[in-house]
Amino acid sequence: MSESNSAISVNNLWQVFGPNPEKIVGSPDAALPRAELREKTGNTAAVRDVSFEVAPGEVFVVMGLSGSGKSTLVRCLTRLIEPTSGSVVMNGEDVLKASDARLRELRRTKFSMVFQNFGLLPHRRVIDNIAFALEVNGVSKEARHARANEVIELVGLQGFAQAYPEQLSGGMQQRVGLARALAVDPDVMFLDEPFSALDPLIRRDMQAEVMRLHEELGKTMVFITHDLAEALRVGDRIAIMRDGAVVQMGTAEELIANPADDYVADFTRDVPKSHVLTVRTIARPLASNETASGRSIPATTIIRDATAAILDADGPVAVVEGNTTLGFITPRDFLLLVGGGSHG
Amino acid sequence: MIRNKKAAAKASVLAAAAALLLAACGGAGVDAEASAAPTDAAEVAACGSYAIAMHAWVGYTASAQVVTEIAKANGCDISQVTLAEAGVTYDAMEAGSVDLVIEDWGGGRWQEWADRGALVQVGDNGNIGIIGMYVPQWMADENPDITDSANLNKYADLFVTDESKGKGAWYEGPPGYTTIGEKMISANKLNFTAISTGSEQALIDVFTKAAADKTPAIGYWYTPQNFLAKVPLARINFPANDWTDPEQASGLTDYPELPLQKLATPKVIDANDAFTKIVKNFTWTNDDQNEVAADIESGTDPAVAAQKWIDAHADIVAGWLK
Amino acid sequence: MSNTKETMFIAKPKKLKRGWLIAMLFAAWVVLAKIFQGQATLVLAVPEDTGVTTWAGNVAASIRANRSDGASFKYFFNPIREFIDGFVTGIREIIAIPAGDSSIPLLGWLGVIAVIGFVVYAVSHLRMAIAAVILVFACGALGLWTDSMDTLAMTLAAVIMSLLIGIPVGIWAGLSDRALKAVTPILDLAQILPTLVYLAPLALFFLIGPASATIATMVYSIPIAVRLTAFGIRGVPVSPVEAGTSMGTTKIQLLRKIQLPMSSRTIILGINQTVMAALSFVVIAALIGAPGLGKPVIDALIIRDVGGGFVAGIAVVLIAIMLDRSTSAAISIDESFVPAPASARRRRKLGLVSAGVATIICIVLSRQLAWAAYFPEQVDISKPVSNVTESSIFWITENFEFLTTGLAKAVTVGILNPLEGVLSNSPWFLTVAMISLLSLILGGLRSAFITLTLLLAIVASGLWFDTMVTFTQTIVATILTMLIGVVVGVWIGRSTRAERALRPILDAGQTLPAFVYLIPMLGFFGPSRFTGIATGIVYSIPIVVKIVGQGIREVPTNMIEAAISTGSTKWQLITKVQLPAAKKSLLLATNQGLIFVLAVVVIGGLVGAGGLGYLVIVGGSKPELQGKGLIAGFSILLLGLMIDRIAQYTVARNSAPKH
Repeated sequence: MSESNSAISVNNLWQVFGPNPEKIVGSPDAALPRAELREKTGNTAAVRDVSFEVAPGEVFVVMGLSGSGKSTLVRCLTRLIEPTSGSVVMNGEDVLKASDARLRELRRTKFSMVFQNFGLLPHRRVIDNIAFALEVNGVSKEARHARANEVIELVGLQGFAQAYPEQLSGGMQQRVGLARALAVDPDVMFLDEPFSALDPLIRRDMQAEVMRLHEELGKTMVFITHDLAEALRVGDRIAIMRDGAVVQMGTAEELIANPADDYVADFTRDVPKSHVLTVRTIARPLASNETASGRSIPATTIIRDATAAILDADGPVAVVEGNTTLGFITPRDFLLLVGGGSHG
Repeated sequence: MIRNKKAAAKASVLAAAAALLLAACGGAGVDAEASAAPTDAAEVAACGSYAIAMHAWVGYTASAQVVTEIAKANGCDISQVTLAEAGVTYDAMEAGSVDLVIEDWGGGRWQEWADRGALVQVGDNGNIGIIGMYVPQWMADENPDITDSANLNKYADLFVTDESKGKGAWYEGPPGYTTIGEKMISANKLNFTAISTGSEQALIDVFTKAAADKTPAIGYWYTPQNFLAKVPLARINFPANDWTDPEQASGLTDYPELPLQKLATPKVIDANDAFTKIVKNFTWTNDDQNEVAADIESGTDPAVAAQKWIDAHADIVAGWLK
Repeated sequence: MSNTKETMFIAKPKKLKRGWLIAMLFAAWVVLAKIFQGQATLVLAVPEDTGVTTWAGNVAASIRANRSDGASFKYFFNPIREFIDGFVTGIREIIAIPAGDSSIPLLGWLGVIAVIGFVVYAVSHLRMAIAAVILVFACGALGLWTDSMDTLAMTLAAVIMSLLIGIPVGIWAGLSDRALKAVTPILDLAQILPTLVYLAPLALFFLIGPASATIATMVYSIPIAVRLTAFGIRGVPVSPVEAGTSMGTTKIQLLRKIQLPMSSRTIILGINQTVMAALSFVVIAALIGAPGLGKPVIDALIIRDVGGGFVAGIAVVLIAIMLDRSTSAAISIDESFVPAPASARRRRKLGLVSAGVATIICIVLSRQLAWAAYFPEQVDISKPVSNVTESSIFWITENFEFLTTGLAKAVTVGILNPLEGVLSNSPWFLTVAMISLLSLILGGLRSAFITLTLLLAIVASGLWFDTMVTFTQTIVATILTMLIGVVVGVWIGRSTRAERALRPILDAGQTLPAFVYLIPMLGFFGPSRFTGIATGIVYSIPIVVKIVGQGIREVPTNMIEAAISTGSTKWQLITKVQLPAAKKSLLLATNQGLIFVLAVVVIGGLVGAGGLGYLVIVGGSKPELQGKGLIAGFSILLLGLMIDRIAQYTVARNSAPKH
């Protein structure tokens, strides 16, 4: 992916807290583990040398445990926290070089954010919460309320425009948060653990809602979460962070099929692989004592969806991509994977 | 609620502003009523508004109240400001928040302020202040030599209390009053401890109790003060008096006889109105003051007590107004 | 886990050792003090000066000499004074003093009452408005209409100016860490400084009168406005602020649309506290010429007119209740951001409009008709109130002599005199050494070093003896306060019913100016050191009780359940579980108690308690002792700092290892 056609391009981003943050970046100290760095210099590197690209319309997920730096990272992208060094290019413009006025303009029109604790303003009605960004941008009351009403419709908040946030349930409050982020029709949306504070059932609804909105509006999204299931459900691509650095980045399938290290492997262990992986990942050459069943399935099929095809065959099934056969899968391979006896 | 509250706050501010505007423009009907009231309007020349310093002792109240009543009757607008004696009051005069001290005991401490033009010494007010150390009369009757300061140490043991650290208790005047007790004690090598009494009333209590229960007590007192008529006290005589300048006083001394002063701000002198005349001309005797003070002490409202004296001495008052 | 266990085991014997050390120290102290009784006590007679006080006197004299021509006065102090004077006079002319050529203020009494009722109604509710009207009317009925209005006007003027300065500074300190760092030491100092200490230095620059009284009041109340505003701004949750920033607000938009509305409750609480602080100071500021209810209170103290002073005290209390209740009613109504339903709002609008019309009618009446302009003299209950007070105090002192004279004598002979023997009547170096050692044991090396420095500074000032006299009274009053405060605090901490019953009294007690308490105490105990001590006790008990009560209530339930399940008696539960667990609160309460007591004990100088407070007061009226008075004020500050530092270090040390 080249810079010119990506929605966001992040290069060598650093964020260091402490007495002399600039001195750390580029010095040998930067390579030290977190605890040692703090001991030696008093600095904490929250984000370490992070680079990635997000394509237009992509949902890019950053995942990690608490303290991994993911929340700092997303704040660096919008400069809620000033990064120490690096560049964040959106639509060809380096956000980090923007003047205060330009940054405000970007925030008002080009990107928006959804927060874990919703960040709603308790003293304003729903409609005025949603219209807030338009209000601070000087849009007339009529125009901004008209726009807010459109978004209210879009996220399913009809009838709540005049309510106050404290009168709404958590899920409804986050709908307000989503609506507020959509109101300015941004190029990019940043979602910082938007559903972590919600009950599991509501969380599912909201994830579906985000997927629906994404399909309808095609917004580029950067989605932060600590929940792998959520990451797999919403993400086109996923970056896994640990101690401020990205340890692995790729599609769900790439991460699960080829974890870069034990940390990632540990993370993904409990994921039902058959739900994520395609048959391509478990296709193997035919052993000498096996004979192909003659049946075949496309390589992009998710294993779960190929269940019947594999089990119904009376021998190994061919995995094909176009006219080439990539390998075969036996019912035994399949059962071993689903049963989770051993991984790999 | 914020919005509602904001609206309410706005409403109240607006209403208050409107009301004030209304009030300011309307002109107070009460004033018209007041001036229409049958007074000797023709005779009353214009008089400014002045603040008189009020000190705590009754004698002062008597003098100040008499001046207040006469000034009010002559169209002056008078307010009274309670303040401690001397420095605090002189500062108030310098700030212009007080215009008159009718009875100053400061012994010339005001000179510095006068030099700066903050106040003017208008002259004696006719009262002679005498401060001293006193014992109840019965003690002097039983021990005639006690009134000589040289013999005080002989009796020191009689005066010991819980508060006096094993020495004789020497009840000093209240903080705002002119006192040199500690200098007197040290210079005369007396075996006494000066104890600050917070109030004049405390001294009255001490002496009243000492007279009634025949307990020993030695304390600060002064004339003019109506109290001596009620509880007889004997004054202790100290060696010759060199107390002209409080900073230089050796302490081997007694409090001097002090012609009490009237102090006023230049504003009073320059105005040349009724108040100026009253301030310049006011003098009266210790007896006059005691008469009014006695009434006040017995519970009469100071204004009433003062008016009573004014009515009884119309000729004197008329003289002050010339 | 194992680590904490270890410290728990080690801490025990260490604490035991510390107790022994302190006991041994006291024993040695008493013996040495007895041996060297009366030597090197540095007694300084009132009229005598030291090098430092002479120097301060000269500085003061040269400042005085500069007042008419000095550039700093011409272009700085005097313009400030004149500006504030104009402002204060303007406000007083609205409600208290004749405006311009008129014979009445802008508003006659009926108008004032109507406006107060309307404003209180607008910010809270009808019931509160009616209560406010009754309270203000009662002030008039006590024969103190003008003085009450003056106090109200002075408070209002000082509060307006304080908020104009305090809220912006508070916002700044709320937004900027650097600003907070800059103002924090000043705010901390302001909390320690006894009120009496402000007066003399300010009078030196701003002279005596309403203007300097207002400035002194502002100096006292601005820190409170700053502290609570900053606290409010900092208390706004992060996410709405982040959300606002992420939507591209400018700093001003963020402040106006998010931070201020969301911190409004705390800021209103700050206004409430500022108002109460200003009111209590305006009363004391009568010492430097503030008009109003402070005048009769001071008169009453000097000529000991207990009845008259009590009447004035009641008026102060009524105004305090009125201001406190109506400003805090304004907070509680804001609990939710959701507005009342439309019908209620319409009703309220109607109510406001009709109340507004009624107010305007009252204002017009109050300017046109004498009965509405001048408070009716027929309504005067001051005489009976004063007489009843005087006779009941007389009755109590006559019939319960063992309680009044007896109590005073017991404390004076039993505690005060012996303690004075140890602290002030022994050689200064012994006392310095012993207090420093005590500070070492209690708070550690840094604490001891600071203590020693402060003590030596006091010695250098030359007012060592008087400082120790004040210190002794402070300690005695604090001990007694803690004895009573802990008992009552444990009681309300354990019983919700007791808490509910006492809370209004404690709240009321906290809002009253210390000055007001002096009057009945003077009636009971006459002018003596004990009067100051008793006033200090009464004044500081509410805060101590509150802190202790809260500490006891915050002891974790599981701790108590564990103790009960092992069969502790009630007494064991209190002494072995609740009190030790609330240790931090006890220490905090002691610290607050000491600072509150010190502030009042100093005022005791007005009623014969001697010590530094007396010197401050004498210094005000005798120019030749002004230097000494100023240094006395400074010594009070040093003493307060020392007490606070020792307490802070002790608290820090005792709460460092958290089990």
